Amino acid sequence: MLVFNQLQTYLYLALILFAIGLYGVLARRNLIAILISVELILNAAMINFMAFNRFLAPHPAVGQIIALFIMAVAAAEAAIALSIIIAVYRKLKAINVEQATELRG
Amino acid sequence: MDMLLFGPELYFLLVALVLFCLSLKRQPHPRAVNTIAATLAGLGVLVALVCLFQRGDLFFQAYRVDLFSQIFKFALALGLFLVFMISRNLAGIEERLHPEFYLFLTTCTLGMMMLVSSVELLTIYVSLELSSYSLYILVPLRRGDDIDVEAGIKYLFIGAVSSGFMLFGLSYIFGATHSTYLVDIIPRMPQLLASPIGLVGVLLALAGFLFKLSVFPFHFWAPDVYQGGANQVVTFIATASKAAAVALVLRIAALGASAGYSFAQTLVILSIVSMTLGNLVAIIQKDLKRMLAYSSIAHAGYILMGVLAFSEAGYASAVYYALAYLIMNFTVFMVLNEVATDGRDLKIAELAGLYHRSPLLTLSLILGIFALAGVPPSIGFTGKLLLFTSAMNQGYFFLVLIGAVNGTISLYYYLKVVYAAYFLSGEGLPPIRLSWPTRLLNYGLCVSIIGFGVFPNFIVELARTAVRAVL
Repeated sequence: MLVFNQLQTYLYLALILFAIGLYGVLARRNLIAILISVELILNAAMINFMAFNRFLAPHPAVGQIIALFIMAVAAAEAAIALSIIIAVYRKLKAINVEQATELRG
Repeated sequence: MDMLLFGPELYFLLVALVLFCLSLKRQPHPRAVNTIAATLAGLGVLVALVCLFQRGDLFFQAYRVDLFSQIFKFALALGLFLVFMISRNLAGIEERLHPEFYLFLTTCTLGMMMLVSSVELLTIYVSLELSSYSLYILVPLRRGDDIDVEAGIKYLFIGAVSSGFMLFGLSYIFGATHSTYLVDIIPRMPQLLASPIGLVGVLLALAGFLFKLSVFPFHFWAPDVYQGGANQVVTFIATASKAAAVALVLRIAALGASAGYSFAQTLVILSIVSMTLGNLVAIIQKDLKRMLAYSSIAHAGYILMGVLAFSEAGYASAVYYALAYLIMNFTVFMVLNEVATDGRDLKIAELAGLYHRSPLLTLSLILGIFALAGVPPSIGFTGKLLLFTSAMNQGYFFLVLIGAVNGTISLYYYLKVVYAAYFLSGEGLPPIRLSWPTRLLNYGLCVSIIGFGVFPNFIVELARTAVRAVL
C-alpha cells in the first residue's frame, strides 16, 4: 500500500493524536484520564520523530534514540503523576478535578 | 581538564548523593542536615565561581560550556545556597522529609545547570524534565491542609502538557532541519521560518520554557503553586528556576531571530498580555505569595522585551534582569520566610508593625520591593532601563509605552506592602530575632541591590560578552 509508505500519513496521524490528547486534557475531569491524554501528546511527538527519522533523516538512529528517551522519561513522569494522584485521593477522597478547587483568585 | 569543564555538575551530583544517603536515615536531625546541606551548597558556589571562565564542548558537542552557561550556573548555585540558608527553620515540611527537600532541590539545580549548557534538542528535553520532576515532587511535600496536593497536581499537569507541546515542536524542528544540534539548526532557520512548519515548531518549542517563566498563556500554575507550596520551595521556584528559564528562552528564541516580523510580533503580544494581566490581577491580591506570583508573571513580560529585541544589547539586558530578579525577589521571599516562622501563608496585612518588630528586615523588604517596582537607584531600575532601552532601539515604541504604564500600575500594589510594614500598627506582636547568618545575609542583599544598581557596568559587560556566544 502506497499510503503507508508516505511521510504525510504519519504526520497526520501524529497531529490527530496530538489533538485528541489536547482535547482530553481540556475536557476530561478524571485525573487518570488527563494523565492518559498527556501520554497521547507525548506519543504524538514520538510518532513524529520516528516518521521524520524513517523518511528524511540522514542518520537513521537519531529519531529512534529520541523515541526511546521519551518512553523512559514518560514512564518517570507517569510514576510521579500517579503518586501525586494517590496523595490527592488520600486527602480529598476523590480523583476528580472538580474536587480540587480551593485555590482561586 | 575535562573534569573542570563539567565541575559544577559533578559537584552537585556528588552533593545529591550525599543528601540521598542522609535521607536514608530513619530519624534525621533537621539542624544537622541543614548545616551539612548549606555548607555543601556554599562550597558549590565556590566551585561554580572557579569554573566561571571554563570553555569547551563535551559529549559529542551536545553540551557547551561557555561564559553564558557558566554565569547562569553560578547564579543557580548561588540561588540554591541562599534557599538553603533560609531553610534553617523549615516549619512547612515534616521533619522526616527534610533530607528529601534538600535532595530534590539539589537534583533540580543539577538539572537546570545541565539545561543552560545543553545545545542539543534531546539533551535540552531530558535536563528540563530532570529539573521539572524534582519540583513536581517538592510542591506537594508541604505539611498540613489540602491545598498543597491541589497545587502539586495543577503544577504537574500544566507542566506535563507544556513539555508535551515543546516536544511536539522539537519534532517539527528535527523533521525540517534533519538535525538535533542547535549549531546545525540555526543556519537553516531563515528558509525554514518562511514555512508554517518551522514557525509552529519554534513557537511550540518555546512553550516548555514559557511555562517555566510563567508567561501568558502558560501562567495558570503560578499563583496556585506559590500559595500552595512550602515557602522555601516557592522561594526556589521564584528565583533560581526563573533564571534557568530565561537562559533557555534566550537560546531557543535565537532560533527565531532570523524570522523577523511574525515571530517577534508573537512575542510582543505575549509580553504585553503577560505584564498587563500580571499587574492588574496582582492589585486585588491579599496573600503576599499570591501577589508575588502575579508580579512574577508581569516580570516575565518585561524580560520578553529584552528577548524579542534580538540584539546583543537586548539579550545582555535580559541576562542582567534575570540575575537582578533573582536577588530582589529572593530578598522579599527571605523577609516572608522570617516573618512567617511557622511556615504559614502570609497575608499582606500580617506585615503590620514590621518596622517595630525588626527594622533590618523592613529595610531589606523595602529595598527588595522598590527594586521589583523599578525605583532608582536599585538593581531593578537599572535592569528595566536596559530592557526598555534595548526594545526602544529596535523601534518597539508602543511596547515600551505599555511597559512604562505597567511599571506605574505595579507601584500601587508594591507600595501596599511597604505601607503595611511601616504604617499599620502591629500592637503586641513580639520583635523578630535574627540569627547572625541571617543578619549577614540581609546586609549582603541590601548592599548588592543598591551596589549593582549604581555600578552595573561589570555585570553588563560580562553579560554582553556572554550573549555573543548565543546570538
